[in-house]
Amino acid sequence: MSEHDFDDDELAMLRQLFRSEAHDALEVVTARILSTGSAVPSTEALAEMMRVTHTLKGSAGTVGLTAMVDLAHRLESAFAVVGRDPAVWTAATADQVVEVTDGLRGYVDQLVAQPAGAEHTAALLRTQIANLTNTEPVVVPERPSFPRFSPSESMIIPTIVTAGEPEPLNDLPSQGVVVESRTHTPPLGYAAVSGSSDSARGDTRQLRVEPERIDDLMSSAGELLFDRTRIERRVQLLRTLARDLARTRQNLRDAIGPSGHANRGLVEAENELAGQAALLSQTTAALLDEIEALRRTIGELQRGLTRIRMDTARNLFLHAARTLRALRRATGIVVELRTLGEDTEFDKAVAEQLVDPITQLLRNAVAHGIEGPEERAKRGKPPTATITIRARQDGNLLVIELSDDGRGVDIAALRDRLVATSRWSAARAQLATDADVLDALGTGVSVRGDADELAGRGIGLDVVRQTVARLGGEVKVSSVPARGTTFSLRLPLSTSLAQAMLFKVGGQVYAIPAVHVVDTTLVEPGAMTTVVRHEQLPVLRLEALLGHGLTHERRPGVVVSFAGKGFVGTVDKIVGPREIIIKPLGPLLAPLTLYAAATISGSGKVQLILDPAQLVRRAHPDAPEALGDTASSPMVLAGRALVVDDSRAIREAMTSMLGREGWIVDVAEDGARALQLTRQLRYDLVVTDLEMPELNGFDLIARLREDARFTTTPIVIITSRASPEHRRRAKDLGVRALVAKPITRRKLLEALASR
Amino acid sequence: MAELRNVIVFAIGAARYAIELRWVREVVTLGFVTGVPTAPLVLGGLCNLHGAILPVLDVATLLGLPAGPPARQGDGALVLEAEATVCALRVDQVDHVASLVETEGAVVDSTGRPLTLLDPLALTRRALELIAADRS
Repeated sequence: MSEHDFDDDELAMLRQLFRSEAHDALEVVTARILSTGSAVPSTEALAEMMRVTHTLKGSAGTVGLTAMVDLAHRLESAFAVVGRDPAVWTAATADQVVEVTDGLRGYVDQLVAQPAGAEHTAALLRTQIANLTNTEPVVVPERPSFPRFSPSESMIIPTIVTAGEPEPLNDLPSQGVVVESRTHTPPLGYAAVSGSSDSARGDTRQLRVEPERIDDLMSSAGELLFDRTRIERRVQLLRTLARDLARTRQNLRDAIGPSGHANRGLVEAENELAGQAALLSQTTAALLDEIEALRRTIGELQRGLTRIRMDTARNLFLHAARTLRALRRATGIVVELRTLGEDTEFDKAVAEQLVDPITQLLRNAVAHGIEGPEERAKRGKPPTATITIRARQDGNLLVIELSDDGRGVDIAALRDRLVATSRWSAARAQLATDADVLDALGTGVSVRGDADELAGRGIGLDVVRQTVARLGGEVKVSSVPARGTTFSLRLPLSTSLAQAMLFKVGGQVYAIPAVHVVDTTLVEPGAMTTVVRHEQLPVLRLEALLGHGLTHERRPGVVVSFAGKGFVGTVDKIVGPREIIIKPLGPLLAPLTLYAAATISGSGKVQLILDPAQLVRRAHPDAPEALGDTASSPMVLAGRALVVDDSRAIREAMTSMLGREGWIVDVAEDGARALQLTRQLRYDLVVTDLEMPELNGFDLIARLREDARFTTTPIVIITSRASPEHRRRAKDLGVRALVAKPITRRKLLEALASR
Repeated sequence: MAELRNVIVFAIGAARYAIELRWVREVVTLGFVTGVPTAPLVLGGLCNLHGAILPVLDVATLLGLPAGPPARQGDGALVLEAEATVCALRVDQVDHVASLVETEGAVVDSTGRPLTLLDPLALTRRALELIAADRS
């Protein structure tokens, strides 16, 4: 590639991009040196330093900065020399390398700002680089101030030609994602260097990460979303259950009536039921709060990860410039590109998806939007048309507006075409507003009657609409006749993308998360099981499950595995693996456990994501409830327990331990309060401390044993004083166990199990 | 006691209803309606509303009447938001925005014709109950 491949604006943009890339690369070299101190860098470190320098060389060439190509080449060669002969590395070399990279950063800034006048700096840098491997260094001024450096001094510029010299290359190795972190302290031992001449360097430290690793994390975070949905759904069920329970209790109360002549046991049971219902509803409310907290945390996790792979609009604009150049070569139509908001940040995944739509819109503008020079002259427009792309953030949305100053859409003609192509009835066309008509653009019609090599029959716009819809966004078209057309793409700044297997059942498309889809196969009619990879798996007739009736033909099947269990689900047709965006179903749909979430297709249709956990349960109806389902295996309630301790920490700890064992736990801070509670409610277990204000543990137990309801209730003492005297007294009171503090879960379980 | 409310008046079949404007987020034409197999009749399907999943409900079922016609692409709908739940009611016709007079429990419009004033909070709660009760 040469400089002439780009027009001025484009080249300026590319050079800005190169500048930031160069800073990254040089930062890597600096970081490597700083981490080794003054010692010779390891082979691995040298290899990386050579690699980034090599990349720098390639990209400098791409943007036509030949002097930079030369410097990068020299630096790379110097590293190669060190690699072969570590003896050239002296105690001072580390400092020198850092000086060179700092100098190069300043040079790059200078070069990008004003490509002509940086030769002096380049000469100095050549000397400095030569000195890296020269044991008898040429004297260079201490702490050089590049712009003021005089070139009049004679310089020795050794040419390094060695057998292992790296080949100049133009291709760019795959780039890592750059994770930026700011540090406000200079790196250890290098305070002097970090404060050196270059102002553009700042204190930004960067860490290079393989993009795949971030993608892996993103998909784990996506899985978390599924998990959360599953939990939320079950809690919603619990809430319904709590409501049912409250209603049952109300019925019971009504049945008992106000007379008070009812059976005393019944009244008590009703009381207890009231307490339990209230507790259940409190607990589920608390759970919902906690799930909400979880949702926020997952959201933060995803946002954090997204920030790591944020891209700016600059790359997209660069792509637009390249596309317009290609169009100019193909059509001879010259278009000026204006870009606004190049620093707007959004998800790299979104940026990648936008490349095709932007290309298509530019083609459309050039093919349809822009008039010929004569027509423009007639309308008093400048001969060169302008396309403006503007990127901005609007709340959580990314807005990209692409406007041309062309002829605008002929709405009347479009209206006629909608009718002529029988897409609209005449009545509908008459009633539709201009905005409605414009919305129809790109749904199979175009303004021009003839097919066009560049922009087809409105099919291009279909692609734009589909891509944007798939990203969860919308396309709006506005147009002023003779003034131009604007396409607004509004879409989320980031997306939670997940891999899924898509298939059709009963004419509708469904998805299953791809991590759980092992394979696809064919299922014979009427087969109850089928063998996949030497394993006999049950067949789940998805068409029957999804209410479309059984069919009697050979059908494709998706092989699903979840939590160690597999099955084959029969479908109409396998659509294939796709990257989808996960959309939550919302609280109303929470009770429909078959569905984990939904996604939106390219044409804007909602598609349901089936929950593999539920499907596996249906495919293995006899399996023990290891997978857990609130609907069919209600939580085993151990009963109601009372924990009495004056330490809040211990009360909390016991509540959590017992709660995990299925106990509903009430707490009291001393014996007196505990006694109050026992008057109102019956407990199936009492766990108490001994030393407490008001009423101590032994007194409490003695009083409880006097109450007919508590004569045989299991009581466990937790204490820091497990003396023989205490044990004897406890035994007299029929205490089941005496546990020494600190309490562990194991000790507690043993105490509960003892007889 | 007369009370003025800002309501939107709409018709489903022969019945006329009103909902206070503060609950209505949008009046939309439904896009493609995705059926939800195994869901009870009250849930007419799912639509894409600006990239979010929108459940479309059947008002008749919610009121304990025989279910209305299934929601289809091109139908009109009111998008409601109540208790952080967003859902749509399929409607046949949106009449107008009006102020209503409430006299002794009966609601009439300016021409004196009676209307049923719907409470979105009660409707969404009822919808959740119906959907939860049907769990399969």
